[in-house]
Amino acid sequence: MRVVIAEDLALLRDGLVRLLSAHDFEVVAAVEDGPSALKALIGHRPDVAVVDVRLPPTFTNEGLVAAIEARRQLPGLPILVLSQYVEPLYARELLSDGVGGVGYLLKDRVMDVGQFVDAVCQVAGGGTVMDPEVIAQLLVQRARDEPLTRLTNRERGVLALIAEGRSNAAVAAGLFVSEKAVSKHIANIFMKLDLPPSDDDNRRVMAVLAYLNARTTHQEK
Amino acid sequence: MIDRSVRTDTRGSARVSGWISRVPDAVANSGWPRAARWRITNFGLVLGLAVTIVWSVIGAGYFWPGWVWLGLVVPFAFLRTVRRALRTQGLRPLAVHAAVSLELGATGIFIWLMGGLRYFWPIWLILGLVVTFSTHAWVVPLFSSDRERTLEERVDVLTRTRREALDVQEAEMRRVERDLHDGAQAQLVSLGMNLGMADDLLDTDPVEARRHLIEARTGAAAALADLRSLVRGIYPPVLADRGLDGAIQALVLAVPLLVEASIDLPDARLSPPVESATYFAVAEALTNVVKHSNAKSAWIQVHYGDGTLSAVVGDDGNGGADRNRGTGLQGIERRLAAFDGTLKISSPPGGPTAISMEVPCELLSPKISPS
Repeated sequence: MRVVIAEDLALLRDGLVRLLSAHDFEVVAAVEDGPSALKALIGHRPDVAVVDVRLPPTFTNEGLVAAIEARRQLPGLPILVLSQYVEPLYARELLSDGVGGVGYLLKDRVMDVGQFVDAVCQVAGGGTVMDPEVIAQLLVQRARDEPLTRLTNRERGVLALIAEGRSNAAVAAGLFVSEKAVSKHIANIFMKLDLPPSDDDNRRVMAVLAYLNARTTHQEK
Repeated sequence: MIDRSVRTDTRGSARVSGWISRVPDAVANSGWPRAARWRITNFGLVLGLAVTIVWSVIGAGYFWPGWVWLGLVVPFAFLRTVRRALRTQGLRPLAVHAAVSLELGATGIFIWLMGGLRYFWPIWLILGLVVTFSTHAWVVPLFSSDRERTLEERVDVLTRTRREALDVQEAEMRRVERDLHDGAQAQLVSLGMNLGMADDLLDTDPVEARRHLIEARTGAAAALADLRSLVRGIYPPVLADRGLDGAIQALVLAVPLLVEASIDLPDARLSPPVESATYFAVAEALTNVVKHSNAKSAWIQVHYGDGTLSAVVGDDGNGGADRNRGTGLQGIERRLAAFDGTLKISSPPGGPTAISMEVPCELLSPKISPS
């Protein structure tokens, strides 16, 4: 699988290159700033990309901006965004195109090599991987939100695991229920969130987005 | 006594007025070069002596050269005394007034002498000069004491807010030190120990070595989580990334309440210390809403206008918020006061509560837009 890496700290960049090369990824580009990240993403059209949120020249959210822009030009381009911290706000922005093939993880997750490589593969396959920390930050507040109030506690738990990018089988294992029960919960979630019938992957993304999208934040300019 | 450095302006209304005070020292000290001055003095002396000799040669009589002397001496003396008066530090207008009065009085007496020592009319001139000067001298301290009072109040406020700002900073540094010491540092030590033990056991007991490696990894994850929460408390990354606008939106997402946020900020970035103070103030106010108010929903309004950043955090909870209960609101107030900001609390029993903050703030160059 061809992969592009954008990370400004040489130590971590080399580490990622080594880690992914060792797992049969072909690193076609490893860049260190926002503009070259965008260029590499568009130019190489990799099967998957791993992009750090904070990159030069502004050292703010350059990487996130590059990822969103690349996916605007090439919809569905699989990108896994890494960061020292996670912001639900950024997760929402990454998912807002509703296409999938997106991941947003803490850099800490790299330490669990197996899980990290799994996450990269899932994103490459069009899945959605959200860091458990994003979900945790959101879990506290869900109680009063529409339309999530319509979900039962069990359904909310299932949704949280879907948001982390787990498969039906993994959700079932995590909640100690049968896969069939999980499928039923997921069907209920889709129905209660008024998600139009489409392919299952896309509806999963939409469900996660609904999960992230609770707040009414409007801006007057 | 007003120190001249006051003129370099403070935020208060204290500003020394009057054009005389504003004459720069350079002008007061400048003038013709010494050589030129000598030449003019010598020319004056020669001219005066010449007419006096002419007067004595043609047979004396009425001492008319006195008028020539008067014409020569008055401008010279006038320039000299006024220049000297301009060089005084402080109370400069009074010094110039005194110099001019003395000059006029002396001229009057001279003219009286020339007029033949009749009725001493210059007394009226002198009286007039004395009265105006006294009035001036009486009025100046009145004004300056007013200015001084404004300045004193301003200095008091600055002294207090500076001390408080430093106290807050000191407390923050201590907290950071303690958190690092008890958190990340300790975790790294234990991580190092686990790695060392794994290294020792690798050949003899791989299973136990592996257990230590797993523990090391868990420790590293815990250290990272600790550092992350510490960093958030020092300066939230999203505030650096997105400015106040994005940071408050992120805050709203993280609160277990329905929060309506209306944010109206210019494209230009606000001064970062003010942004950060306002962010933490809004965050603290929101935390209070969650902890104490029993509110069902809250709202935030942030807007910028007329050089002032204002933020209001309101909720439909129980009300009864009081700056004297707990340290949260006082902390906000102190933090804002360092920027001449103010905090107003409206929270009748039964609610609703509105915490309003205002901070004077200048705009920086347009921000590098993220989207």
